[in-house]
Amino acid sequence: MRLEKCWFCSSTVYPGHGIQFVRNDAKIFRFCRSKCHKNFKMKRNPRKVKWTKAYRRLHGKDMTQDATFEFERKRNRPERYDRNLTENTLKAIKTIDKVRSRREETHHKNRMKGKVAKERKEARKEHDQQLHMLIAPGAMVKDTSAAKVTVKVQHESDENRMEE
Amino acid sequence: MATNSASNLFHVGRSLLRGLSSSSSGMLRSPQETTFNSFLAQQVRTFIQMRTNLKVVDNSGAKRVMCIQALKGKKGARLGDTIVASVKEAQPGGKVKKGQVVCGVVVRAAMPKGCSDGSEVKFDDNSVVLVNKQGEPIGTRVFGPVPHELRKKKHVKILSLAQHMA
Repeated sequence: MRLEKCWFCSSTVYPGHGIQFVRNDAKIFRFCRSKCHKNFKMKRNPRKVKWTKAYRRLHGKDMTQDATFEFERKRNRPERYDRNLTENTLKAIKTIDKVRSRREETHHKNRMKGKVAKERKEARKEHDQQLHMLIAPGAMVKDTSAAKVTVKVQHESDENRMEE
Repeated sequence: MATNSASNLFHVGRSLLRGLSSSSSGMLRSPQETTFNSFLAQQVRTFIQMRTNLKVVDNSGAKRVMCIQALKGKKGARLGDTIVASVKEAQPGGKVKKGQVVCGVVVRAAMPKGCSDGSEVKFDDNSVVLVNKQGEPIGTRVFGPVPHELRKKKHVKILSLAQHMA
């Protein structure tokens, strides 16, 4: 029994799942489900299809190089059955998985680092530039001195004229 | 060969579509093209029955063979079954001649074959290896990949001659 990788999306194909297509040049394509198989028949390049692991690795969304990937290499030599070895391997798989997911999380965090500050900055800019769409420019100003306009009546000049 | 013809049809169909839909709006073109695409890419894969043309992948001299009878199975032959066929196209100096009735073992079928572990295998074309009544291959070489299923059907000789095993 062997767990294969889907050619299109790079997810694991468990036994009993998926279709294996053998081309005439003896290249074998394994697919985890009909979604991947149909995309292959449409001649789509997995490196351009956003939800595949190939795209994510290529565009730096997921980790590419890590020591934990070395443990998952394909080995063609069958091991002689040894109960201790099997037990240790199963334990190791669990810890390696934990380590790898932790590292992937830090990678994701690093990728999203400046996001909150950037969003805030953009929101502020939009606020400054587009607020006039919602509220009229003069309506927000609360200036009490400007509301009352004092008019100084010039009585003296009138008296002067009258005298003349 | 099947893929070449399919891709040729694909190109011809595409150019036809372009000519047809040049007058119509751009929006209409893409769903038409994709349906044409999917129609061509997803051929219906069925059994090998009477009048099915198969490619011969050994050096017995025949090139193309047409199935006359699937020896087992009501609907037709599948991967690993034997068929009776008539030689339609043959190389000039081979062991079999055109018009001869021969037996063959299907080594590659476009129809998916279910394995005992639940997975499915399918190949690119329908191919056959010519065999005599006892089940021994007439030719001395087999080209292309062959499936593991032949071992269960006791066609060990063909497996030993094969270059790749699926």
